[in-house]
Parts: sequence; structure tokens; C-alpha cells
Amino acid sequence: MPKITIPLGPQHPALKEPENFMLVLEGERIDKASINLGYNHRGIEKACEERTYIQDIYLLERVCGICSHSHTSCFVGCVEEIAKVEIPERAQALRILMGELERAHSHLLWLGVAAHEIGFDTLFMYTWRDREHVLDCLELISGNRIHYAMNIIGGVRKDINAKQKNEILKRMDILEERTNYYVKLITQEPTILARTQNVGLLPTQEALKRNAVGPTLRASNVKSDVRKDDPYLMYDKLDFKVITADSCDVFGRVFVRVFELIESYKIIRQIINYLPTGAIAVKVPWKIPEGAAVGRYEAPRGEDIHYVKANDSIKPERVKVRAPTLANFASVRYMLEGGYLADVPIVIAAIDPCMSCTDRSLVLDGEKTSSYSWNDLRLMGIEFYKKKGIDFSKVKI
Amino acid sequence: MTLDSVLSPLFFILVFPGFFFLSVYGTFLEWVDRKCYALMQNRIGPPIYQPVADFIKLLAKETIIPKHCDTALFKTLPFFAMASVITAMLLVPVWPQALFPFQGDLVVIIYLLTIPTMTFFLAGWSSSSPFATIGAVRVLTQLFAYEVPLMLALLGPAILAGSWNITEISKFMFQNPLLLIVQIPGFLIAVITLQGKLERLPFDIPHGETEIVGGAFTEYSGGLLAFFNLAIDMEMVVGAALINAVFLGGSMGADGILAIVVFLGKTTFIVLLLSVLKAIMARIRIEQMINFCWKILAPLSLIQIAMNIALKIRIG
Amino acid sequence: MSLLQEEKIKSELEKKFSLDILGFEIQRERRIWLEVKKEKAVEIMAYMKNKLDFNHISAISGMDMGDNLGAIYHLVQTGIVANIVVETPLSNPRLDTITEIFMGAEYYERELEDMYGIKINGLPNGRRYPLSEDFPKDQYPLRKNWDQKKFEASAKACSYEEAEKNSGDEEKI
Repeated sequence: MPKITIPLGPQHPALKEPENFMLVLEGERIDKASINLGYNHRGIEKACEERTYIQDIYLLERVCGICSHSHTSCFVGCVEEIAKVEIPERAQALRILMGELERAHSHLLWLGVAAHEIGFDTLFMYTWRDREHVLDCLELISGNRIHYAMNIIGGVRKDINAKQKNEILKRMDILEERTNYYVKLITQEPTILARTQNVGLLPTQEALKRNAVGPTLRASNVKSDVRKDDPYLMYDKLDFKVITADSCDVFGRVFVRVFELIESYKIIRQIINYLPTGAIAVKVPWKIPEGAAVGRYEAPRGEDIHYVKANDSIKPERVKVRAPTLANFASVRYMLEGGYLADVPIVIAAIDPCMSCTDRSLVLDGEKTSSYSWNDLRLMGIEFYKKKGIDFSKVKI
Repeated sequence: MTLDSVLSPLFFILVFPGFFFLSVYGTFLEWVDRKCYALMQNRIGPPIYQPVADFIKLLAKETIIPKHCDTALFKTLPFFAMASVITAMLLVPVWPQALFPFQGDLVVIIYLLTIPTMTFFLAGWSSSSPFATIGAVRVLTQLFAYEVPLMLALLGPAILAGSWNITEISKFMFQNPLLLIVQIPGFLIAVITLQGKLERLPFDIPHGETEIVGGAFTEYSGGLLAFFNLAIDMEMVVGAALINAVFLGGSMGADGILAIVVFLGKTTFIVLLLSVLKAIMARIRIEQMINFCWKILAPLSLIQIAMNIALKIRIG
Repeated sequence: MSLLQEEKIKSELEKKFSLDILGFEIQRERRIWLEVKKEKAVEIMAYMKNKLDFNHISAISGMDMGDNLGAIYHLVQTGIVANIVVETPLSNPRLDTITEIFMGAEYYERELEDMYGIKINGLPNGRRYPLSEDFPKDQYPLRKNWDQKKFEASAKACSYEEAEKNSGDEEKI
């Protein structure tokens, strides 16, 4: 069979967000793969420079729909460092609480997506059902399910009370039980094992060479976790393990994420049970003094890094966001080549790609910069159907 | 040639057990399958008219035909698939007896059920799109994997009954219900390979949507896709009916309306088994499927046949 | 709060590259800032990777400092972040690639090229990132003097065929 090139994306059922993989196939084997990114470019970095710090928090929250808390925590952390503000312990704890709930929600979502990629829709439905518990907790605390808007410069926006604490603890029990079931499932179900073991291999040396981050790196048996290495907030006072796997394949990545869920529940319980008392925020002046800071944060997908430069005004001079997915793309190419076409979706999914995180930047206002404006397209459509004998031009929109 | 002799075959082909019955019952079974699948996944599932609604919706959509494909072939394939399935149905006993029983109809029916698979292959191949081509190749590869164990599994009861006639086999199995217990491995193999034939999870490799979009059907749309889907639903009925007749004693001696009730009940049961299979597993890779079929299912069905031969000698 | 590790890195680096390091600051624990000459940047980073265990690159942030364009390489050694500031003149912004040291830096460098117009010597050919193929090649959106409104008023989107022609070889493989 001659080699054929197939485009996977930008629109493809396996990809939840636009990205493009050109795969050269030899039968079912992948001979060569190349990755094209940038379909999700929105200009957030430029937009940040034009807005005040307060506005930036809400803008950066929208970098990604899943790790929304990660990006704001990281950014706010940088700004607080520049302003030399020490935030109250209770605020730190609440940020961690949100962060870990977010990790649980992200990993459950990922587990579902991964199951769907290998055609196991039952597991997909189960995990997404359980994810609702986490989302309920997040809603209970912040009032929102996805964009919690919890962080403000100098602390957090909302406190929690005893009733909410009890509710969260109750949900954690349910989730822990379910997660233990998933642990059993992923380690014993033969078809899952058949589809994940020895798939998308990324040996430790290669992972380090390609600067992978997060669960992808940890599944290649590297003990790397920003929460331990570079502790922020009050992670150094918490008791949790860094989960690693030595199988260096997709199974390892599933394994790491599922066990991280359990670690997250552990952290959430610790925080709820030993929540420090005190204020939840301190006042920070709008004007941030000159300075620069680099913040790192362990987002559900790995290391998230923000660089903020302030110039003694209410707007930042420069905000740089590097989301974890971008760091993992160099490894994806390695993992794809030599594998089966059938494994492409799960291999890509295994790094938990989040393209909207990855691509940020540049506001394109459509009308003049794209080849066709919305109106042009509409007129084209009308012309097209006129040729076929249907006249849509009378239809009002 | 009397009017009656023309009308009754027409009735068989178009109404019962042919096109009309198959399409109604096929869409019903599709609903059973989807509902059951949904309930097992903690969902509510579709209402009973959903498959019909889907069918009508697809009919109303624009049918797009790729520029580079063989248009005539592309358009006629769904009907080829459907015709061969309906023909196969005429050979399966719905009443105590098939409409046209003859020695060797078991082989003919397996042959007829291969034709839809071939049309899937041609559909993918003729639509000249990379995803469809890969899907088409996978359809054929998969055919070579499941066909042999399916054939061997169906052979077991035939050896026991000493006949190639499905009606006689089902009568024999009904008269010797104890022998059914010995046939359990063969029955399970047949159900699993039927799952492969119908290209459903875990064997929906030829159109695993996250890998190759729609597989062989990627370029199909509108009415043509609707008829392909209908043909697959019908194939499910015929497959279930075949397993019912060969392994479960067919209509179990009942007659008239009762026979149909028994037929419907047992085929629904087989479809339920198929949906359980669909719910509990992940899709496997094509080479894993081939390994599984040739290294596990085929030897198992050979053992089943050996067992049946021994039994046959024993009973005399 | 001990800065032992950081001090050690400082002394090691200053011993080896005393002339090429223009500035060194320990901001706080686990945060180091260096300013280095651009000609020596690659060499210093290679040394840091091989001898000081800075084996991960987190990101490269571009910066517009007026007369100069800058790039900050964020290197990480389990926990310690070394931010290496390299400057290059706005009139002829050029930097050398570090993809030979850090394979993961490819996309970060492409971003520098696209968003700031810093030409990266030795960067392998490929599709641009993150801007689209039909985006004008002389526009660098993250530079301070770039104005969206002005750009929209003046820019003429290139046609589809032109974009196809401009796209990298990699797409056609």
C-alpha cells in the first residue's frame, strides 16, 4: 500500500479543539507526523497590556475553560510578589482548595475524554457524572461552575462556612469511592490495558530532552511537581505524594492522573479540616510598583508559568503566559511516530491538550483581516443556493 | 402463473418477513439497543421513535456525492446491502419453518450476509477519501478476522443435527434441549463475532469515530446514509434471527402468532446481549482484533466442533 | 530562608563567565535573574544545562524595551528558576536558536519570531506559530508600537492562494 497523508484536524471528532496533525501513513503505521498549531489564537497577551490588573484577572481566567483558576492564581501570585503583599493564610488555603477541586474536575473530565478516545463511552459517561459532584462543590463555594472568579489581588473573593465544608466533605467521600472503582477499572479491564499499555512510549530521557511537563513527565518516571519543587501558597505545609509511573506509556499517564485524584481529595480534606482563621483578603493599591516576577503553578496539565512586568501604573507592561500543553507538544510528535493510526487519538489525548490555553494572543477583529466577512459568507451562501433554485435572499435574519 | 403465486412472494419480500417487517423491527431493535446502552451508562436514552426520526431527518438532508467517486456505484451500494439482507431473511425460519428451506441454506445465508460487508468496503473504496479508504481496508481486514470463527461456531449445531438446513437444525436443537448446554461456548462465540460483523463496539474499528471519522461511510450523507443505517439495523435482525434459529431452537415448536412472539422475544434477548457487550468494553485495535479472533475464538470453536463430533458419535 | 543553592549557582557562573554576565540578581529564594551578552547566551545556557542541571526550559518571554527587544529564557533546575535576559537591538533583532540544547524551545522561539519579529538564527524551517498563514509578515503584534486599529485600517488580507504559497514546507511533507 502506498503511503498516504491524512489530515487529523483542525476539525476532527477526536480533537475537542482545533489543532492539526498531518500524518503520513504506511498502512496502519504512522511514518511521519507534523503538528500545526495556532488555530485558537485570541490575543490575550496583547489584550492584557491594554487592561488594568483587575480586568486582567478576569481576562486570564478565560485563557482556558478548565484550568481557569490556575492561570489567575499564577498571575495574581506574580502581581502580589511585585507589590510585596503577603496574603492571609486563609486566602492561601482557599486558593489551594479551589485549585485542587479544579484538578479533580479536570482529571475526571480528562479520564472521560480519554475513555471516549478509545471508544469506552460507558466510562466516559460515568466520570462525567461524577465530575458533577466537583462542579457542584465549586458552585457551592464560588457561585460558578467553570469560571469561578475566586481570585482577587490580595486574596480571594468568597469565604466558606461550616455548612459548605460539610457538603464538600460529603462529596469527597462519594468521589473517593468512585475513584477507587476507576482505579480498579483501569488496572484490570483488559481492553483498556490493551489500548493503553506500550502505547505512545516516551522514555524518561526523551521526556526530559523534550522538556515535557506535568503528568506526561511524571508518567515517564520523573518526580517533578511544582507544588513540591517550588512550593507556592502553603503547599509546603500540606501532606501529599507526587505520583509517578515507570511504564512511560499512556497507561502510566492514566495511572498518574487517577492517583492524583486521590491525592487531591486528600489535600481538600486537609484544607477543610484545618482551615486557618482570619481575613480572606488584604487591600492592594491599584497601582503596582515597578518590578517583574515569574510565577509557576502546577495546573492540572502541568507546569503553568507566568511572567509579569509592572511599570508603576495600573496596567501591566507585559504579561507572558505559557500554558502546559505547549510544553508537551514536542513530546507528542515523538510519541506519534512509529505508532498505530488507531492510537493517535489516545496518544494526543494523553497529554490532555488544551489548545485554547496554548494559543492565546492577538485580537483579530474578523471583518477586515480575514478573507471573508460574515456578511460576505452569507451573500455567497445565498448565491450558491440561487443557482440550485432556492432563493434565500428574502429570508430576514 | 396465477395471481396468487405472484402476490405471495411479493408479500414475503416487501411485507413479511421482508422489507417492511425488517425495517420496523430493525428500527425497534436499534431503539432497544440504544435505550439499553443508555441505561447502562446512567443516561435516560432516546424515546422509542428516535431511530425513525433519525431516519426521516437523514432523508431530508442534502445528499452530497464526492466529485471523484464512481457515482453509480456510490448511489446503488446502500440498496445492494439492503437487498442482500432481505434475501437472507427469507431463508431464516421465523415460523417453525423457513419460507424456502433447502439443504445448505446455512451456507447460503452466511454468503448473503457477507455481501453487506463487501458493500461497506466498496462504499469506502469508491468514495476516494483518505478516511473512507482506511475504513474500507479495515472493513475487509476485519471480515477475514471474524468470518472464520462465526462460520465454525455455526457449524457446531449443524454437525450435531446432521443437516445443513437451518429449519432442521432448529427443530433438532429444540427436541434435544440438553444439548444446548454444550453449545454455550459456540453460542457466545457466535454472539461476539456477530458483534464484529455488525461493526459495533468493541469491534467498531472500521468506523471508530475518534480515529477515522466515519470510516467507510465518511463521505455518505443524507438519504444514502439513512439507507445504509437501515441496512445495518436489518442485518442486526437477521444476525440475531440466525443465531436464534441455530442455537436457541428457533420458534420452539410454537405456531402462528405465538411463533412470532417467541421469535421477537428471543431476538430482542440476543440484541440485549449485544448491547451489554457494547457497553462494557473499549474499542480494540485492528491487529488486536485479528489476534483475538484467530488465536482465541477460532481454536475455541474448533474445540466446540470436536466436542460436537464426539457427542454425535456417542448419541449415534 | 537560605539562599545557599542560589549563591552557589551565582559563584559558579561568575567564575566561568565573569565578562559575559552583565547583571546578576537573586530576587528571592528560587528566583535568579541574569543579564547576559547575546553572543554568549547560547554558550551560557548550554553550560547551565550540562554543568548546573538546568535541564528544563519553561518558556521564553519576549519583551519590547523601547530601543531594544528582549527575550527572557526561563530555565528551571528542580525548583530554581533562572531568568536569563538577553537583549537585541530593535533595528536588527537577531538571536541564536537554543533548540539544539532544549528541544522543547522550538515553539517558544517561533513565537518570538512571530510576535516580536526577532529573527532566530538556525531555527529549522516550519509553519509559523501562533499567527495564521495569511497574517502579514511584517507585523509584530506584541511590539509596543503596534496598534490594532491602525493595522486593521491599513492591512489587506492576503488571498487564500497567497497564504498557501507562503505556508511552510512541512505542511506538504
